[in-house]
Amino acid sequence: MGAELFDLRPALAPLVSAVCAGLVMLVGYRPGWRAALAIAAAVLKFGIVWSMLPGALAGTVYAISFGEILPGLALAFRVDALGLFFALVSSTLWVAATVYALAYMRGHPGQQRFFGFFSLCVSTTVGIAFAENLLTLFVFYELLTVCTYPLLMHDGGLKARRAGRRYLVYTLTGGALILAGMLMIWHLAGTLSLADTGILGGIDDPVALATIFVLLAVGFGVKAAIMPLHAWLPAAMVAPVPVSALLHAVAVVKAGAFGLLRLIYNVFGVDLMRELGYADVLGAIAAATIVLASVIALRQHKLKALLAWSTISQLSYIVLAACLLTPAAALAAIIHLANQAFAKITLFFAAGAIERGTGATRIDELDGIGYRLPMVMVAFTIASLSFIGVPLLAGFITKWYLSLGALEAGAGFYVWVMAVSTLLNAAYWLPILYRAWFRRPGRYGTTARPVSLLMRVPTLICALYVVILGIGAEAPAMPFALAESAVRFAFGMLGVAP
Amino acid sequence: MNGPDLLPLVFMLPLVVAALLPALALKRPELSWALALTAALVTAGVAAVLTATLGESLALRYPVGGWAAPLGIELVFDRLSAITIVFSGVTALALVFSRTLAGGLGPRPALFHALVLVNLGGLNGFAVAGDLFNLFVFMELLSVSAYALVAAGRGSGSALAALKYLLPGAVSSLLVLFSIGVVFALTGSLNMADVAERLGPAGAPAATALAVALFASGFMIKAALFPLHFWLPDAHSAAPGPVSALLSALVVKVGVIGLIRGQLLFGEAAAPALSQVLMLLGAVAIVAGAVAATVQSELKRLLAYSTVSNVGYIALGLGLATTASVAGSLVHVGYHGVTKAGVFLAAAALIERTGLHDIEDLRGLGHRMPWSAAAISAGMVALAGVPPSAAFVGKWQIALGALEAQQPVLIAVILGGALLALGYGIRVINALFFRSPTHARVVAAREAPPSTVLPLVVLVGLALSAGLTGALMIDFVGPVATAIVGAIAETPGGR
Repeated sequence: MGAELFDLRPALAPLVSAVCAGLVMLVGYRPGWRAALAIAAAVLKFGIVWSMLPGALAGTVYAISFGEILPGLALAFRVDALGLFFALVSSTLWVAATVYALAYMRGHPGQQRFFGFFSLCVSTTVGIAFAENLLTLFVFYELLTVCTYPLLMHDGGLKARRAGRRYLVYTLTGGALILAGMLMIWHLAGTLSLADTGILGGIDDPVALATIFVLLAVGFGVKAAIMPLHAWLPAAMVAPVPVSALLHAVAVVKAGAFGLLRLIYNVFGVDLMRELGYADVLGAIAAATIVLASVIALRQHKLKALLAWSTISQLSYIVLAACLLTPAAALAAIIHLANQAFAKITLFFAAGAIERGTGATRIDELDGIGYRLPMVMVAFTIASLSFIGVPLLAGFITKWYLSLGALEAGAGFYVWVMAVSTLLNAAYWLPILYRAWFRRPGRYGTTARPVSLLMRVPTLICALYVVILGIGAEAPAMPFALAESAVRFAFGMLGVAP
Repeated sequence: MNGPDLLPLVFMLPLVVAALLPALALKRPELSWALALTAALVTAGVAAVLTATLGESLALRYPVGGWAAPLGIELVFDRLSAITIVFSGVTALALVFSRTLAGGLGPRPALFHALVLVNLGGLNGFAVAGDLFNLFVFMELLSVSAYALVAAGRGSGSALAALKYLLPGAVSSLLVLFSIGVVFALTGSLNMADVAERLGPAGAPAATALAVALFASGFMIKAALFPLHFWLPDAHSAAPGPVSALLSALVVKVGVIGLIRGQLLFGEAAAPALSQVLMLLGAVAIVAGAVAATVQSELKRLLAYSTVSNVGYIALGLGLATTASVAGSLVHVGYHGVTKAGVFLAAAALIERTGLHDIEDLRGLGHRMPWSAAAISAGMVALAGVPPSAAFVGKWQIALGALEAQQPVLIAVILGGALLALGYGIRVINALFFRSPTHARVVAAREAPPSTVLPLVVLVGLALSAGLTGALMIDFVGPVATAIVGAIAETPGGR
């Protein structure tokens, strides 16, 4: 690995959004200011994060540390390959989500609060990505919980309050478990650094190790919506569409999945994980989640509910891949952070546009909608085909590497899980596509109103990205190279292609 | 005049100004607020200078009248006394807050301001007293002024609440006084450092045990440590807004500091029984206080029970008696003071502007009073200890101490208390921001004036971000923590 370099940018990236959030709360009562601030912050941060890519690909690690919060534990940022990959995904999607949200939320009450917390959320997400130690990660992880709550509760109705309460009960309990695990690590190992491949090597106490793993895996597993910790996610569907996109694609669930990756690759490390065998258990749970969530998704009538269950299933791809502990599978885990994000945000944008344009929320109301909202439905089609795993789209790459990794690990059974999941995905996405393109327009199709270009364009761009990720995977400037570098680091294979 | 010479000022200044205030403000009542505020601010400055002078040393000593200890009276500004910065600063901010309440403080606001200053003088004097007698005198000074401040409330219940506050307060003072008498009889000395050395050789275990029990139970009442907290919710909720903040954030801490001084004073004679009691009661208080807070319908009572829970954290940390946990307790004394003051002042702003006390009545107020409501919301989150808020540091250290003391079960208590705190915090936030108004006075309410809002924002801002200075604070109180653990662990039986 290259040198560690002091740089302001890792701190600047979260700060930009935080400052923007503050300004929105202060002067955001003017729609013009609000929009300008939100867009400016999103673009600025996008620029800051991407500007670190060339250096990171060359092996430079940017780092900055602030004072110690607790004795020996600093608030510190460090941009390694895995963290930068996550930050790239979230900051790129943030630009799209902000533009979309500005259009979608037009005319809603309480926009000042909405955009303030919206910006804070991305600030905390980048903080999670760049955290140098578990404590810093935890600080931002908890702030993310706090900041998404007002967004989730935005309309304040009874259903929203119930969903909000459930969300908090789950995520805050998960946070407490992470804190307990962190305390144990700090007590036993004396470090919480995420800069290495494993910090628990010196502990021989199997009970303590198992407790730490269970505490952290369950804690992060809540946000990653591993069954049976998933129940908050379908309930959270009452939130406005941009918030759902935020919860499902960019921030919350990804923070959980990212936390699990950090747990496996940086806290325990691949070698210790292999030795202990916990990954087999977690992997089996993830595989069960993949199949079960898809089966439940089959029975959904509402589009957003279907998307929620599909998210639960797709997230466990990341967890399963990480648990296989082979380089190819690790690559699948990391790139699926991006693949799932782009495809899922496309679907949410599309669902929001459909709801706005036609009022349709149920799947059986989508007859012939493809001809009323062609741009949106083309994007929807691309994204759903990607989830099925059609080659040349992003989802295929994940499945390919995941299957490869399963074979490497000698767990051929998981290839069958992939196959079943593909069939199930086809079974719930294809009927929607059939309705949309091959049925006569129904009542909802005919009343379609024009949807703002500001909603349609981000949808299409995200769908385009799904294609790019699928066909351009080996292009040198793509984050794919970054994912490879993260894998090489985690597996201690410097300079070797996976 | 160099550093140590300033020492008496830290309590003399507010006391002298308090004595003169009613006379000075007789002709010009509007002066009284400005004078009181200036006195509090200068006192805070003095405390800050003293803390800075302290530097690397452990204590500044000031022999009153030039008579050396143990015969003379000695004032000691040690690292624990740095809490006077919090005492003075919070009092100053509470005074800023009370500016617009002048009409609600009775016909003579100067008397109210004087009482607040007497209270501050008592608090600061208590923190720097080097001998048991002055410790007692200052404790009485601040207690009596606190009773009077509770009675200054407008409601018909405030006199009764003051009486309810006075009775257990007087009992606790008597217990402490009796204990001091026993100690004096045993050692012939009142200087605390001196007594600590003489108690062991005095060789009267039964009498010493009696002194420990009296001293500890007296200060446990003052600290409202469960189950001796019964007086606190009434007293704190019936007092006028800024007074509640002072009582809950500062005055309760006197009991805690008394317990800490007691641990240093009695050392091995108190351990391990006192540690066990503190640990057990602390753990119960964390949960019981938080559960009680969860079911309250009145906002101020909810906050009062939250104080009971937080005193539990401090007691638990002291009882665990590891360097990490004691340091955690010490920083939590200050951090909780700042946080609770901010939250209580914010609650007072909401209540003063609407005249409504119940959380359910305050529904929808967030849109009418955005600053105050945002302050209390952020304060509730900070109170629970979401990092990087101030309360996180203490709770982390105490939990670490639980691991070091081989008591991992207590982690569940510590985290459970924090989760419950988030639970009741969210209740307040939901009512303020996510429910529609049910009360006409909420709809008609307007945001409080800037002089009211400023202290809230300052205190809550500190509460939210002060956790970032945690390592600094823990290093600062480190020697005190080591001294306490050392004092307790001298016998093989103690930890």
